[in-house]
Amino acid sequence: MNPTKRLLIVDDDPDFAGAISEILESAGYETDITHNPKEGWAALKTNKYDLLLLDIMMGRGAEGVMMARKIRKDESLREMPVLIITGLREQIAFLFPGQAIHPGFVPVDELVEKPVEPELLLDRVGALIEASEARSPGGDE
Amino acid sequence: MKTYAYYPGCSLESMAVSYHVSAVEVAHLLGVTLVEIEDWNCCGATAYSHVDELLAQVLSARNLALAEKEQRPDLVAPCSGCFKNLYFANEHMLEDADLMDHMNFALEADDLSYSGGVTVHHLMDLFVREVGLDAIREKVEDPLEGLRVAPYYGCQMTRPRKPGEGLEDVEGPRFFEELVGALGAIPVDYPYRMRCCGASLIATSRQAALSMLRDLLQSAMDAGADVIATSCPLCQINLEVYQSEVNRELGTEFSMPIMYFTQLMGLALGIKPKQLGIGSEVVPVAPVLACRQSQRTAVAG
Amino acid sequence: MEVMNLLYAGDGKPPNLCVHCSVCSATCPAVEFMDHSPRMLLAMINAGMKDEVLASNTFWTCASCFACSERCPQGIHVAQIMYALKRYSLWHNRYPEGLVGPDFSRRFVKTILANGKSYEPGYAPAFIWEGGLPGLLYEMLGAVKLLRRGRLQLIPKKIKRVDNFRQMIGRIIPLEGIS
Repeated sequence: MNPTKRLLIVDDDPDFAGAISEILESAGYETDITHNPKEGWAALKTNKYDLLLLDIMMGRGAEGVMMARKIRKDESLREMPVLIITGLREQIAFLFPGQAIHPGFVPVDELVEKPVEPELLLDRVGALIEASEARSPGGDE
Repeated sequence: MKTYAYYPGCSLESMAVSYHVSAVEVAHLLGVTLVEIEDWNCCGATAYSHVDELLAQVLSARNLALAEKEQRPDLVAPCSGCFKNLYFANEHMLEDADLMDHMNFALEADDLSYSGGVTVHHLMDLFVREVGLDAIREKVEDPLEGLRVAPYYGCQMTRPRKPGEGLEDVEGPRFFEELVGALGAIPVDYPYRMRCCGASLIATSRQAALSMLRDLLQSAMDAGADVIATSCPLCQINLEVYQSEVNRELGTEFSMPIMYFTQLMGLALGIKPKQLGIGSEVVPVAPVLACRQSQRTAVAG
Repeated sequence: MEVMNLLYAGDGKPPNLCVHCSVCSATCPAVEFMDHSPRMLLAMINAGMKDEVLASNTFWTCASCFACSERCPQGIHVAQIMYALKRYSLWHNRYPEGLVGPDFSRRFVKTILANGKSYEPGYAPAFIWEGGLPGLLYEMLGAVKLLRRGRLQLIPKKIKRVDNFRQMIGRIIPLEGIS
């Protein structure tokens, strides 16, 4: 009745991606990891995921914003919950010291900042999947 | 003749004012109208790509969008660094629809949009390919007879290679030499004509830049050059303003005039030195001015 | 190493195609001022020596002349890798002490974000932000000479629609209060 949920992690830091993958798998989730938006997009188009965990600063720059916007425009991915986990503020704190992340320009369900506590991570992931299932009862295609 | 959207770039408003005024004078005389883009912003130089390439990209996207809005599909940039940034930002957006879409999302904040309708030219490209050497030759009134000019390509006018270009286009171009020849001067071959001047290393890795400048100045001097002609403000400033530093720190005694190619063009076309921004140098250019046919006649007469 | 992840979006082939021919090092005009040659840096990336790569001054000594990228027989865009490393090192605040490059890039970017234009690409931001114009620039550039010749500006130019400009930037880097 409640099959294993499959999550995709897109983060260029293999250590961080590995760590959150371990936390999620120990809680019974299945996870795939890609290290850049390009491979991440390919994975999203190949497999069906219940949630995406997305980093912001990757490759050329703030690619996570671009990817989140693209997902929200995509017919088949639009409804998928997206959780951003980012160190954005720290990574470019020198440009805009003390500024908060602008939620309006990152069209995601929730945004948490690195480092993330395991409990908080599991709490948010669980809540987002639940809310998504409530939005589309049955959850099947 | 044709009207071009003109993107001067930050340097041409300050240390490279003489490049700006000579470019405008020469273009005018050759029947080309340069119309400065309204409210253009900095191209980001190289520093922006050190922080976020998408941020660098949006700076160029705004300038391209402004040119498109003014309905001028041909944009010309005199600074090689600006040219490279604008050219490749344009290419990247044309290749990548997602990037174009993302840039347009950002441009909305300034009521702008970009569809990819602009072609980016370097100023030298405009004179050599669009106006043409024959047309320039016809307008030469005061040939720079006997003047030995070292054409300095620098880096970002030719590199990285553009789509459709072969290695020979970036390794062995001759268009700068041909332009110098069209002015009645003698183009000098020297090995470092395409080697980097040190660019912004002058601020961040001074010893490296001074050493690169010394090699370059030495290479041109050994070839018997009277003047180095540049097509980029950063190269000009490094080679000219820092020449005394090279001399002081590396024990050389260079006194090599460094002029913008547009200034040499202007002289040959008979424009008065003052109108070409000549007179603001820290390394004197008198030997160059004396090579003009009119001056020789004056002396002889 | 993570550096590989940074490169996916860049032009050119992955660094693990390097055949160690050293053309990049031979064409590099700044190689003698680098602690590792470009070829060595590629080898270190390929060997996963992340800490050693980040401790190197090599990529901060790159002048972006693109000679290496043009001549690499394997199609590796070496200069692009140098850019990616600069970004990585700035984002993670990891670079050798005493380098001017990282600070310079930061100041430069901040100047443009505030005004839409720079003072003088390549020079002034680093000095002016230090308040060093009367001192450093004076000495280093013969500022008086340049001022007298109308070649030095003391007040930064600003674009007209600077508020819109900053909002535009805020859509790329999603931080509040940019404008």
